[in-house]
Amino acid sequence: MEILSDLIRSMVGEGMSDQGVFISAAVTMATIMFIVMAMCAIIFTWMERKVAGFIQSRYGPMRTGRWHGWAQAIADMLKILGKEDIIPAEANKALFMFGPILVLLGSLLAWAAIPWDRNFVAADLDLGLFYIFAVSSMVIIGILMSGWASNNKWALYGAARGAAQMVSYEIPLALATIPVVMATGSLNTQDIVIAQGGGMWNWYINPVNNPFLFVAFFMYFIASIAETNRGPFDMPETESELVAGYHTEYTGMRFAFFFLSEYANLFLVSLIAAMVFLGGWQAPFPFLEFIPGWVHFIIKGVMLVFLNMWVRWTLPRVRVDQLMHLCWKVMIPISLLCVVGAGIWMMVTGQAAA
Amino acid sequence: MDYELKNIGTHGWASQDHAGEIKSELMELNMGPQHPATHGVLRLLLETDGEIVHKVTPVLGYLHRCAEKIAEGVNYKQWVVYTDRFDYLAPMCCNHAYVTAVEKLMDVEVPERAEHLRVVTAELSRIASHLIALATFGLDMGAWTPLLYCFREREEILNLLERISGGRMLYNYMVPGGVRYDVPRDNWEHDVLEFITMLETKKLKDYNQLLSYNKIFIERLSDVGVLSVQDAYDYGCTGPVLRGSGVKFDCRKDDPYSVYHKFDFDIPVGTGEVGTVGDCWDRYMVRVREIEQSCRIIRQALETMPEGPYLAIELKKPVKVPAGAAYTRTESSKGELGHYIISDGGQTAFRNKVRSPSFCNLQVIEKVGVGQMVSDLVAFVGSLDIVLGEIDR
Amino acid sequence: MEQKAIYDLLAETLGEAALGFSDEGVEPVADVDPAKIAEACTFLRDDERLQFTQLMCLSAIDWDGLDETGKGKSVAILGYTDEGQPETSDRVGEGDFGVVYHFYSHPLKHKFTLRVRVSRDVAAVPTISKIYSTAAWHEREAWDLMGIRFPGHHDLRRMLMDDDWVGHPLRKDYQMPDQWLTVPMAGKNLIANPFKTDEPAGSADSPEPGEGE
Repeated sequence: MEILSDLIRSMVGEGMSDQGVFISAAVTMATIMFIVMAMCAIIFTWMERKVAGFIQSRYGPMRTGRWHGWAQAIADMLKILGKEDIIPAEANKALFMFGPILVLLGSLLAWAAIPWDRNFVAADLDLGLFYIFAVSSMVIIGILMSGWASNNKWALYGAARGAAQMVSYEIPLALATIPVVMATGSLNTQDIVIAQGGGMWNWYINPVNNPFLFVAFFMYFIASIAETNRGPFDMPETESELVAGYHTEYTGMRFAFFFLSEYANLFLVSLIAAMVFLGGWQAPFPFLEFIPGWVHFIIKGVMLVFLNMWVRWTLPRVRVDQLMHLCWKVMIPISLLCVVGAGIWMMVTGQAAA
Repeated sequence: MDYELKNIGTHGWASQDHAGEIKSELMELNMGPQHPATHGVLRLLLETDGEIVHKVTPVLGYLHRCAEKIAEGVNYKQWVVYTDRFDYLAPMCCNHAYVTAVEKLMDVEVPERAEHLRVVTAELSRIASHLIALATFGLDMGAWTPLLYCFREREEILNLLERISGGRMLYNYMVPGGVRYDVPRDNWEHDVLEFITMLETKKLKDYNQLLSYNKIFIERLSDVGVLSVQDAYDYGCTGPVLRGSGVKFDCRKDDPYSVYHKFDFDIPVGTGEVGTVGDCWDRYMVRVREIEQSCRIIRQALETMPEGPYLAIELKKPVKVPAGAAYTRTESSKGELGHYIISDGGQTAFRNKVRSPSFCNLQVIEKVGVGQMVSDLVAFVGSLDIVLGEIDR
Repeated sequence: MEQKAIYDLLAETLGEAALGFSDEGVEPVADVDPAKIAEACTFLRDDERLQFTQLMCLSAIDWDGLDETGKGKSVAILGYTDEGQPETSDRVGEGDFGVVYHFYSHPLKHKFTLRVRVSRDVAAVPTISKIYSTAAWHEREAWDLMGIRFPGHHDLRRMLMDDDWVGHPLRKDYQMPDQWLTVPMAGKNLIANPFKTDEPAGSADSPEPGEGE
């Protein structure tokens, strides 16, 4: 923000008030974020299809745009935008229209607190991590809203499952990051990344430093798959059971919102995992520090996204009650154990943050 | 891990009033005919209480063509093409069932070579059908990748069958009295042997590692949709569904037709390896193991295939069947496929009733489906491996 | 156990209701009185010596127009003419209906075939769906396609045909419909396509604008 503000100030001169500079910087930042998000949806759609193709011994898209069908996702997006926007006659129109926006908003807002580089964060909040989890919970409301408003029983099933699942998995997701917060002594996302500087052995995932953080990473990763509603935890969609879940009735642009949000969310949770456990924009080795931090950060995020896709295209889906069982009876206790264990470990080894 | 939910009976808490104020009622849910998990155009009317199914009512007929009526209007040989359309995933088995039934009335001496060719093609078809069963069952469980793998192997079978019959999906290969074409002269037998060796040694292991013994897969299927032997008998279940419940019954062994008595193979049955005998996993695993047995049969049939004619009738003339009536059953990939043919001595059947295995197997869903979760119902339908072309006929 | 021996056991139990046994054809078959079919099935299923665990098949038969001499001169079914119009006939259906039951015993590995015959105007056979559950759908199909009622059946609805279908298609005297719910069943030009006409406007066959329906 500071860089951006300085840039705007230097461009328009001193004639602009501080508030004006702030507002224009914020608008610029939001635009960049939205573009990045839309881009990542397009890129990850293509990537998902290529990864799935690779795993399933086929090619995936190969035609559009000549080289490995790189333009397929763009073509799909254009097609989706050109589709007729259908609102079911018996649907609750206001909620039906507002649902997808809320879903998109939930995933978009959280991007504000992601630190891309040392001086490159849209909102350097002291409560950054807390803020991310707080706003991303809005997605649940959007899903429940659109599933309910569709006036379709399958959509309602999907929404009910989705709400139950996401509310539950918020808990291990947040609990898994608490040991990191304890280690850093701050909820500020930038502080968390800075605390992991100096090479990959200083990242929080390193089991030598603190084994409980290592376990917490896997808790976070599993919970994040469930939080993004992807296989094997894609309960709200379960295309073989619930047709298409909460977005059964959606078409065109509104469907694109869900689509966009799914991949934005996927990248977001991967970025958070990279930020919290894998050193964010810090280079894995000191001699790689000449590469800009955001490149490291994005590479880490994309690798986690790949891992996520790998899991999705390999495993069958769990049943909805098994999913809840896994959350409440396995993951939450382990996450809590991690919190307690990490605290004790830090006390014993004297790592506790000042 | 115990999931008590599936044991809630039909008179669970949904039918009662809570605290006398909140009234809850069952939700009617229309599953199909356009639904990804109903394997075609099956429609299930569900009465659900949340995730628990309280009543299942299958609605059929979306693919009904009244082939039995058509059988009364076309001659015996012409009707073979309609059998292709019954179980379109294993048409060779359907061909085989029909020609066996007609030959039983005709009393024609079918050449040994034709019988061997029939067995080979029917078993290849059975493998293809079972591969689809595994693939779509995996898909019902949310595993996408086995689908593509199984279809890849099925493609090989379709290529092989195309080379011998000219058709990829609907073959019209067998006629009463033999088969239409001999083995093509391009090393067909060798390619078949190569394929089944590859399937036996490599691919089945892959499927087992990827899907069958996957922890999530087992958790989803063990103790789900348990079909007792008594119910299986009562509802007329046959084939892998009956064998999944632990009954060692196979028409190829117990009521031999064609030349199956010459071959040495086992009948895999459900053993309750990961749960109760007769659960969804058992039915699934029976199919995987049947693929191995089919490979064994194919190998023996090819190795002992005699030289000689492959057709005992004149292909251009319609066959005449002496008057009489007989019920003939064969083991199709889905179970016991029977034809009850009444002949009046002419060129067309007076009556041709088809007893299709999926039709009888599906009926049991009215009993076993009750009290399960919606997800488990999907698993159960998948494990029955129904084909709607055969149910609606 | 041989089918004849099974029939003798059955005849002991049913008495008068066992109408005869024939093993002339390819498949031996026992005739019983339709009124006693449920009793016969219960006996076959429950008797220790028989243990018929499974009903393999239940087939409904319309013997209308069957050439008894075995020369293949049975009455042909009615279909569509080459012009796409349903064939019609003044012949009144007269033959009996029959239901054939095929049983199999898994423990003892023997088969048995029962046949009942009912007159065309009665067209009803007591249900055995309470004895063999699988018969429920077979009987529904028989009712749907052949029009044989099964008194006592818990759910005797149309199964494969639509709920509002008229007639039972597998009957030998069934006449094909020319249309159903305004959808033409076969052939062409049964109903003028309201959106398109093949003839050029003004030709003798096509209605003048404003004149058609």
